[in-house]
Amino acid sequence: MLWEIWRVTRVEAAWRLALGIVGGLAVLAVFSSQREVIKDFSAAIALILIVLPHFVGWLSLAKLNSGRPGFPLYLLYTRPVRTAVLVAVPMAYLTALPAAIYLVSALLLRVTSGYPFPLLPAAAWIAALNLVVAATNWSARNRAIQMLGVMFATSAWLVLAIHRLTAVEIPGSYDWPPHLWPTLFDFPLTDYALIGAIGLASFGVAVASVARQRHGDAPAAMPRTVDFPGFPEDVVNLFRFPCPTSSATRAQLWFEMKSSGLPVLTMGLGLAISIPLVFAITRPIGFAHDYAPSWAGLCMLFVLMFGVNAFGIRWRQGRAFASAFEATQPYGTARLAGLKVLVRSVCVLPAMIAVGLSVWASLSFIAVGKGAEYLRSWLHVIEDAVQTLTDYQQVALAVVASIGVAVMIALIAAIMALAARYPRPLNIATSLYLLSWGLVLVLLALAGRRGIGLLFGPTRFIDAPAIVLATVYLSWRVFSERLLTLRSACGAVLVSAAFGAAWITVLRAAGVQLAGAPTMDAVWMLSPALLPLIASFLAPWSLSRIRHV
Amino acid sequence: MGQFIVDVNDLSRSFGRKTALDGVCFRAAVGQVYGLVGANGAGKTTLLKHLLGLLRAQSGSVRVFGLDPVRDPVGVLSRVGYLSEERELPEWMRVDELMRYTQAYHPTWDASYARELIEMFGLDPSKKIKELSKGMRAQAGLVAAVAHRPELLILDEPSSGLDAVVRRDILDAIVRTVADDGRTVIFSSHLLEEVERMSDHVTMLQDGRVTLSGELDDVRRGYHRTRVRFVESFDHPPVIDAALVMEGGGRTWSVIHNGSLEQFHRSVLALGGEVVESRDATLEEIFLARAGRNRQVVAA
Repeated sequence: MLWEIWRVTRVEAAWRLALGIVGGLAVLAVFSSQREVIKDFSAAIALILIVLPHFVGWLSLAKLNSGRPGFPLYLLYTRPVRTAVLVAVPMAYLTALPAAIYLVSALLLRVTSGYPFPLLPAAAWIAALNLVVAATNWSARNRAIQMLGVMFATSAWLVLAIHRLTAVEIPGSYDWPPHLWPTLFDFPLTDYALIGAIGLASFGVAVASVARQRHGDAPAAMPRTVDFPGFPEDVVNLFRFPCPTSSATRAQLWFEMKSSGLPVLTMGLGLAISIPLVFAITRPIGFAHDYAPSWAGLCMLFVLMFGVNAFGIRWRQGRAFASAFEATQPYGTARLAGLKVLVRSVCVLPAMIAVGLSVWASLSFIAVGKGAEYLRSWLHVIEDAVQTLTDYQQVALAVVASIGVAVMIALIAAIMALAARYPRPLNIATSLYLLSWGLVLVLLALAGRRGIGLLFGPTRFIDAPAIVLATVYLSWRVFSERLLTLRSACGAVLVSAAFGAAWITVLRAAGVQLAGAPTMDAVWMLSPALLPLIASFLAPWSLSRIRHV
Repeated sequence: MGQFIVDVNDLSRSFGRKTALDGVCFRAAVGQVYGLVGANGAGKTTLLKHLLGLLRAQSGSVRVFGLDPVRDPVGVLSRVGYLSEERELPEWMRVDELMRYTQAYHPTWDASYARELIEMFGLDPSKKIKELSKGMRAQAGLVAAVAHRPELLILDEPSSGLDAVVRRDILDAIVRTVADDGRTVIFSSHLLEEVERMSDHVTMLQDGRVTLSGELDDVRRGYHRTRVRFVESFDHPPVIDAALVMEGGGRTWSVIHNGSLEQFHRSVLALGGEVVESRDATLEEIFLARAGRNRQVVAA
């Protein structure tokens, strides 16, 4: 059993270890030549980086049952092993491994930096958190209960951590500088007793629940036979209207609206409604009310996340693929890609507007809190900026925002499709890209006060030609593969031209003078105008890659 | 034989190091039923996916109705009905929604035929796909695949999940109706008895290669199962010309062989034996002789 779990989780464990160590070391290295206060702060950030990977559950295990709540190792039910052992072995493993990963990371940072990174006390609390999260995930048979349980456990853990770390208040600075760590992390024995009690309770709850699932008293967490690309079926089936049979385009439009468009819109509106409710409900609770504005930010992030995966890529036990059902419908690839992106954009945009309006309207509910002030100042900046624009400039801004959202959705969908088709090359490319940014960070640290422009300046000589070359290459591909007709290509050029005109208007409104600028700078600033064209070519080309593998 | 509507020429395809198809040639004529047989991983589904344009040919060519299914998916798929092995259908859809959705793509949709099939299968139109059993999903997928009366019907393991009655009475009837209307059916199956019952042509794939292809009657006539008796006893199968598989022991052996019967008789006589009885081999016997394991196989 241990070997089996190790095989499933080893890659994720390696990632967690690597992320913690590399992230921590990078932060320490970048700020190593700075003042003592900044170096201390970088050590605090490094500590957060090595703790953070252990806040989330094990994704590799969640894949086994398509992320459904319940015991993910359900295949073990037929083994001649008692339920207590069935639960105890993976639970012990999943508790010990994060603690071990943390200990290795902390020890390494301790040795290389000399800072007293806490060892056993932090590892013990990480183990406790993982125990509770595992027990919650395995015991709950309802998604909402599962999420609430995990959120409660994590919040309780955070509150406790903040309480302990802010035991000594230092005016004008954060309360847990490295020199205080040995004192702050010297937890009393009662803490370890509490951790033991949490462990026992979690184990008991998990065993009882898994026993019910094993013997059919509670539904077992089986993986889906066919993974639905994302939206809950209750929301999908909220709207019942008949599929038109008069044309393929209308039927496909119905399919897209029903399967993804309307669920996005519904969930966006639901989130928009939740914002004033959260503000109002948390009003009497000072601590919670301070953090309520962050819910508004999360809502916007959720709506943006609904916009990804417009092509409906599915995952089954870690394998990404496109729906054969859709791929075998007699519908042109370019039209299909266009329709998917269009529907998703048309539904994401009003959802974003609804959330934005909700935040704006809900500000009257907020009486206190630093977060609210921050949010207010942001909204004032936006309001002031919009008020100074002429009607024509406001229209241009709306055009840029609308097409920008569609371009973002198209590009993300295309990248996801290419990631499904070419996972390894894309992983390598992403790693190289991240590495290059790591390099930029290091150079930034070495450059000191010579300015960011010194480092980022040369990138425009790479980015602008890259955008132009990508456009030329993709246009050649879509025409040689007969994905786009001349008519649809003309449509893409027109949209791009409209976006370009609007973009230039917005640049002018922002005070950017292209006339006097150096040629390269002007090309760099104008290059986003090509993005709609790239998206128009890349979206059908990438969909074609997964439709015809 | 009429005009070929499917023409696969020297098709090869690899997935990483695994060669799924290796120089496959396959043709299908109008109004015929083609059965694809082969062991698991032989390349049947891969070949069918190439016909639908779900896979690009790495080398060789695929033409369906004279068109490349990758370059012209609309031209090909609008004339094809397809039932996938995974029965992949949107789980949120209801059966009636699936029918209307499919109907929109096919102007040739025969609503009364669809209704008739739905009633025959006993499908509830208001049920969601996710609420259907595996067999009912196959039935819903089958209705969606055949109700627009496609010129080419491609069925990947159509019997999987269907009970014996549906398989024998309804599937056979549908396939025969399609062929009798002058349309073409290509299907893959593990059930050799089913392929033997339904197909006009059979193509056998093994490790990505076509090992046997032709009209079913010709194929069957080319292989025989013969019981032979020798004067002396053999511990190991004796070497007989054209023998593919030999079962038995001692003096009596049962042989699956191809080639002419006269030549086989002469070989047996030369070894001091005699032919007790002989008949055409069944498709299953041919398949096992070609691809069978755990048998006493002699060099062909």
